[in-house]
Amino acid sequence: MNKNYLFLTLLMLLLAVGTLFIHKDETFANQLKPEELLREITQPSRYVTTDQIAKMIIEKDPTLELIDVRPADEYNKFSLPDAVNVPLKDILTPEGQENLGIEDMYAVFYSNDDIMADQAWVISKRLGYNNIYVLKGGLNRWVETIIRPVEPPETASETEFELYQFRKAAGVYFTGGTQINDTGVKKTKVKVRRKKKAKTASGGC
Amino acid sequence: MHVHERNPKRTLITILLFALVIVFGWITMKKPRFKYALTPQQTVDMVINHQGCFHPFELDKALKSKSGDVVLIDIRNSFDYAKGHIPNALNITATKLLEEENIKQLDNWKKNSVKVVFYHDDQLQANGTWMLFRQIGYSNAYVLLGGYEYYTLNKNNLTKEKGTCLKGSPGYDFAEVAKKSASADAGAAPQVKKKVKIRRKKKAKTASGGC
Repeated sequence: MNKNYLFLTLLMLLLAVGTLFIHKDETFANQLKPEELLREITQPSRYVTTDQIAKMIIEKDPTLELIDVRPADEYNKFSLPDAVNVPLKDILTPEGQENLGIEDMYAVFYSNDDIMADQAWVISKRLGYNNIYVLKGGLNRWVETIIRPVEPPETASETEFELYQFRKAAGVYFTGGTQINDTGVKKTKVKVRRKKKAKTASGGC
Repeated sequence: MHVHERNPKRTLITILLFALVIVFGWITMKKPRFKYALTPQQTVDMVINHQGCFHPFELDKALKSKSGDVVLIDIRNSFDYAKGHIPNALNITATKLLEEENIKQLDNWKKNSVKVVFYHDDQLQANGTWMLFRQIGYSNAYVLLGGYEYYTLNKNNLTKEKGTCLKGSPGYDFAEVAKKSASADAGAAPQVKKKVKIRRKKKAKTASGGC
């Protein structure tokens, strides 16, 4: 009978060792299922317009976080105010990841057009991040709508003219005078506050 | 010991019962319908290397040859499809692509190494769908560059763009455009940004230390 006990013990041990190999990929624990990802992909709610972003920047909305996914050299030449640079190839590095998933922040990816930004979005969405968006049309449309808005024809509706007026004013805001320096300083202050928020959260752990 | 002597098959029964439980669990275990074949990093590599791009000049070749090694899938809704589509394109709305019968068809194309090319009105709207299918293992999935819009505008001259990915390049010299009326500020702005970045890194360190 001792033989039987030995056999049972060995069997249990073998199974226990076996469970060690049934492990899930823990590196990306919040990963969406492919079905869920497709559902997210087919919804156009991730797109934001250049007008929305311009308004948020002008109003100094502290919840806006612009993420420039272009290579660093393009970012250094020009970027939107207070954007951080996370090149698409570095999006999974710790430096890239810490810009995502900040509580109460709306992260907006942008690139020259919108393909690279959308690719960054798909990858981040798969990893389970929420509150992420794509700037539709990217910097190209930024120039076309905000920096160089086209005057609507005389037959256009009033709202179109209002939009044009807004864009023209925004264009002046983003290209003109010393205002740019001022906004930079103020925005930095806002970001300090954000840092505090994160500290309290980590203290809870 | 004495107990076992009364029923010598007791150990055997225990093992059998145990095995039965495991087999039952194995059979009833819910297996996911789809699994990621690419890791997130492989996905990043795929997009930065411009894999899976189907150029309009390739479309031109495919439309002319009719050899059947390329299948075009119109992922717009059936209404838009009815209004007009690329010749021989099939209509499967993006939301229905993972349904059983469509997957069967996609598996079949994959087995016969038929290129499956997704398109929508513009490239952006097909981008996500294409990326998803690449990620779940359909290495034969492609995205039509420029989308249906580019096709309708250049129907008769699809071969004019060669090699470029059509999208992704800057349409303007942004720095120049932005500088136009504000020249002195250009130098000061990037420095402010860099400071901000350094502060963020600190934030991450505190978080990891707390846990």
